[in-house]
Amino acid sequence: MVGSVAYTPTVVTIWEGIRDYFAGTPAEMDFVLFSNYGRQVDALLEGTIDIAWNTNLAWVRTVAQTRGECRALAMRDTDAVFRTVVVVRAGSGLSGLADLRGRRLALGSRDSAQAAILPLYFLARAGLGNGSVDLLRLDSDVGKHGDTGRSELDALRAVLDDRADAAAIGINTWESIGRDELMPGAFEALWESPIYSHCNFTALPALSEERATAWVEHLFAMDWENPSHRPILELEGLRRWVAPRLEGYETLFEAVQEQGIGPRW
Amino acid sequence: MVNPLVILELVERLSAVPAGSVVTVPLGPDDEGTAADTLAAWCARSGNELVDVREGAVTVRRGRTPAPPPGAEGERPPGTRLWMYTNFDCNLACDYCCARSSPQTARRALGVDRVRRLAEEAVGSGVSELILTGGEPFLLPDLDELVAICTAALPTTLLTNGMLFRGHRLERLRRMDRSRLTLQISLDSATPEGHDSHRGHGSWERAVAGIRIAQDEGFRVKVAATLPAAQSHKLGPFHEFLDTLGIAPEDQVIRALAHRGNADAGIELSVESLVPEVTVTADGVYWHPIGADDTDQLITAEIFPLAAAIDEVRRRFTDQRAHADAASQWFPCA
Repeated sequence: MVGSVAYTPTVVTIWEGIRDYFAGTPAEMDFVLFSNYGRQVDALLEGTIDIAWNTNLAWVRTVAQTRGECRALAMRDTDAVFRTVVVVRAGSGLSGLADLRGRRLALGSRDSAQAAILPLYFLARAGLGNGSVDLLRLDSDVGKHGDTGRSELDALRAVLDDRADAAAIGINTWESIGRDELMPGAFEALWESPIYSHCNFTALPALSEERATAWVEHLFAMDWENPSHRPILELEGLRRWVAPRLEGYETLFEAVQEQGIGPRW
Repeated sequence: MVNPLVILELVERLSAVPAGSVVTVPLGPDDEGTAADTLAAWCARSGNELVDVREGAVTVRRGRTPAPPPGAEGERPPGTRLWMYTNFDCNLACDYCCARSSPQTARRALGVDRVRRLAEEAVGSGVSELILTGGEPFLLPDLDELVAICTAALPTTLLTNGMLFRGHRLERLRRMDRSRLTLQISLDSATPEGHDSHRGHGSWERAVAGIRIAQDEGFRVKVAATLPAAQSHKLGPFHEFLDTLGIAPEDQVIRALAHRGNADAGIELSVESLVPEVTVTADGVYWHPIGADDTDQLITAEIFPLAAAIDEVRRRFTDQRAHADAASQWFPCA
């Protein structure tokens, strides 16, 4: 039983497709949808689901609550190279993170790793902690860990409306508006973070290695070139499933500790 | 360029709907000019489909257009078959004729030169079958030459009332290529009454005789009936009769009476309701053979190049489907 958070109606289509893909194999599965990541991790800990499709913050919190006994099974190729992008109005004259000192930065929902937690972590690394940047928090999709992208779009609107000088968003949202290529006069990227890891399939020791391996092997066999597999991969935003890149979570572990973000909701 | 807020709105609204759904976002007064180009570029980049930009709003479908319904253009895309009206005059004056054909109707023949060029261009335009109709094609003195041109290019079907297979017309029939030509003969009922009531006394008997002659001459014969919807209960005996004539089940074509041409009743068919079948007459290219004498179905008076006409039919059909799908999304009643 796999859990996922229903942050858009398309999640139903995706998981029905994945369930059908596993039907008739030694690793048949079903899925349960949750309204937020807190409930999903609770269900994983209670044994209601065997695997949780977790964001990076949900992973970090599951690790904290299981004292590291949980394990990551797989992720999307796009999850291994996720980034945060700080975006400003084109022609703003700002040229790097240091230029944000004393300026207004719009952040996405406070539980979004890409649009709130990690931007603050990277700002601190750039010497811009402790109030050196005026933060505008836009908590429009709390509980979904920013997965709806709504709070990131609100951050971009704040820049357009001159309520903020810059916005911190995920690379996926930056791509979704066509980066700075589609509307060259609108936005430009001020700064891109180092890559970090985003979602993964999280399991507890209660799921045997044998069952987990069978499921992951069949997951990895999804093929972009196969017309029956491709729609699901496109909807979920990947070309292939890959082994989890665990070192990509180190920055978020540090950020959560520094910012005092608790292991539960 | 479009106002960036429009793109942000599209990203947000599309992310909240299932694939295949459409959303409409208003444009502002500053979004004229190149806004449509930017929106089209964004749709291409994001994997969505631009349905429409007009009247101060943009409509976008999430993801790709759903697959067409089975049996519609999915199996036979518009332009796969090319219909040609060889002529409009006829030895009969059927009271439901969609082409308004009769002995008094002007011939308006397509002619050997245009048929030859159409057949040649059809091959290069993705057409896989030619269909000749009228009028009554066997009234033409050069029909055997027209058919030879067509069958040399592609498999061909010739529609006829089957009543003229005598004398020099029978000789013309005999010169046609049996391996590439199917004859489709009109017959509306298992007994003379129904058929003759629309087509004239004695026409049923001569049509049945024509079917037998064509079969004896070695042609594959399809039979096509035109029936008012109220007579659909009479199909059983009709199919049984066609079986006795040796007409294969797949060659028994039943079509509903259309309210077109001379018909004073029948189902209403329009460009909006018909999957197109590209049709060429001496007057131009039409949406469908059922409307080949009606200006509302005229696509262009320029027959050549044929590929351009086919492209135009396909473009209109794609637009029409997109708008119909969009409308069905816009007007849910519950």
